Amino acid sequence: MTTQQLRPIVSVFPIKGKVKTIKQVPLPSVFSAPIRPDVVRFVHTNMAKNNRQAHAVSTTAGEQTSATSWGTGRAVARIPRVKGSGTGRSGQAAFGNMCRGGRMYAPKKVWRKWHRKINTNQKRYAVCSAIAATAVTPLVMSRGHRVNKLPELPLVVSDQLQSLTKTRQAVKFLKFIGAYRDVEKVIRTKKTRVGQGKYRNRRHVLRKGPMVVYARNLGIKKAFRNIPGVETASVYTLNLLKLAPGSQMGRFIIWTESAFKLLEDIYGSWEKPSKFKSGFYLPRPVMVNTDVERIIKSDQVQTVLRNRRPRSRKYGKKIQRADPYEDMSVMVKLNPYYKTKLQKQKELEEKNKKERKEIVDKSRKEYEDWLYFSEEEEEEEEEEEEEGSDEDREIEVLSDEN
Amino acid sequence: MSKQVPETIKKQKKRSFNSKEVKQEKNEKRMKLLKEIQEKAYKRAEKYEKEYLDQEQKLKELKQKALKEGSFYREPEPKLAFIIRIRGIVGVPPKPRKILQLLRLRRIYSGVFIRLNKSSLRMLHFIDPYVTWGYPDVETVRALIYKRGHARVNHQRKIIDSNEMIYDKLQKYDIVCMEDLVHEIYTVGKNFKHANSFLWAFKLKPPVGGFSTVKKSFVNKGEHGNREQYINTLVKKMI
Repeated sequence: MTTQQLRPIVSVFPIKGKVKTIKQVPLPSVFSAPIRPDVVRFVHTNMAKNNRQAHAVSTTAGEQTSATSWGTGRAVARIPRVKGSGTGRSGQAAFGNMCRGGRMYAPKKVWRKWHRKINTNQKRYAVCSAIAATAVTPLVMSRGHRVNKLPELPLVVSDQLQSLTKTRQAVKFLKFIGAYRDVEKVIRTKKTRVGQGKYRNRRHVLRKGPMVVYARNLGIKKAFRNIPGVETASVYTLNLLKLAPGSQMGRFIIWTESAFKLLEDIYGSWEKPSKFKSGFYLPRPVMVNTDVERIIKSDQVQTVLRNRRPRSRKYGKKIQRADPYEDMSVMVKLNPYYKTKLQKQKELEEKNKKERKEIVDKSRKEYEDWLYFSEEEEEEEEEEEEEGSDEDREIEVLSDEN
Repeated sequence: MSKQVPETIKKQKKRSFNSKEVKQEKNEKRMKLLKEIQEKAYKRAEKYEKEYLDQEQKLKELKQKALKEGSFYREPEPKLAFIIRIRGIVGVPPKPRKILQLLRLRRIYSGVFIRLNKSSLRMLHFIDPYVTWGYPDVETVRALIYKRGHARVNHQRKIIDSNEMIYDKLQKYDIVCMEDLVHEIYTVGKNFKHANSFLWAFKLKPPVGGFSTVKKSFVNKGEHGNREQYINTLVKKMI
């Protein structure tokens, strides 16, 4: 919203001849007003209540009896009952909303609040939104208008349109400009109203066709009056109920050139107030740049963000591992020294084994030597037994053992 | 027709700390670190093996020396105990219940290491009927930590599957590998508290061969209370 705003250009088309641009006009600021369906819905629902006529139930309905309750003890409900006798009506229940011929619950009164006050600024906001929406092709299409064959949206035509007087001319123009398809839709879908409105002077239901907005009525009103679905409106008095029928934005509007230009004066802009609505500036959007994705991805934002915290996938999943006392690879991963330790233990064991073996062998050898020796000595003894005493020999043998 | 890459994606890639180059760099750093950790682990394991053997040897020598002199060698009082909760959670009075909670013995057959000092001995006194405890030796400590050791990581219980896990949490206490952890626990070092709280309470299995009677104390041919060195055989049955 700079002070010097570049406004886009819209083509102005003639009303007959060839469909080509005869002039170009800048797009009024209204068409850049924020499109707020919530505001439009609120204003529309309340505005639509304003053309209601009061209705109520008769004040005396159901009360025109002198019924009294019979009280208890008569084996009947305690509801007031019609007095008297000699007629079917006597003894019947009366007055209650549950009774046949009784008064309704909470009888409707004419002093019900039929109309709604809406803040002027809200009303204007809604109208600005609705006008802005008429330039958005997807919105117009989604509202149901047949706008495929139009040369441009918003559709602006020369002021000569305002001077048309004959319906034939008007239809010819609509066909020329490509808007007649919308009218055809209206004609095709004219139906008898569903419900009781059909015998309350609201027999037929029509779709909404194009709306023709003019600056000066030089016959245009009467020219378009009889074409089904087509409505005309003065640009000075644009009605939200017509711009967004059913609070659905995106009415198909055909602007005349002067009407189109007047929009800038009627609704003003963000810098200049409206000339016709005192103190009114166009509503400001909450966000200037609504492309949130773009904002987030922009350099200005991304460079200031902290780094994304890394998901600790290391410890994220449930880790399974084998028992290190059964699986050597797991053991070695946890204790790289383990294999060496086992080796060393093994070596130590073998060393001990060897030493033990040596000691055992040594003592065994000694024992065997002694045994061998003693065998020899015994033989010698046996030989010498005949000769001498054994006592000395035995002592000798003992000393050897030691 | 070449693939058109949107401007925003190009910028994102350049900016992203997840880009290929950054990832590669990180990976290399990590690999280097892992290698360092494993080397340290090797050296320290070697050192500790020697230390444990020396300790044993020293103890033997002192005992022999004392015997020779005709006196006794009084061994230093144990610094480390392993407690196993052997009673369930039903019908526990408030004081023992609170103490069991404080010691992280919240379920039956859960086990924790605890350093023994006057305060903790007092605590153990209160919970004697609900636990059995004793003085674990190196092999028991090792078996517990290797086989049933789970770390408390991000408020989660994760099995210790690599030294990296230990390094990440306990590097500032100079504990980088399993053997470091075992050593810190067994010798009740300066950072015993941190090493112990790194470990989730051990969840053991009911003992193979069963208990005699948990209602009686160990001294009275039951199971609860202090069973000194016989905790080692029990842990073997429960691990």
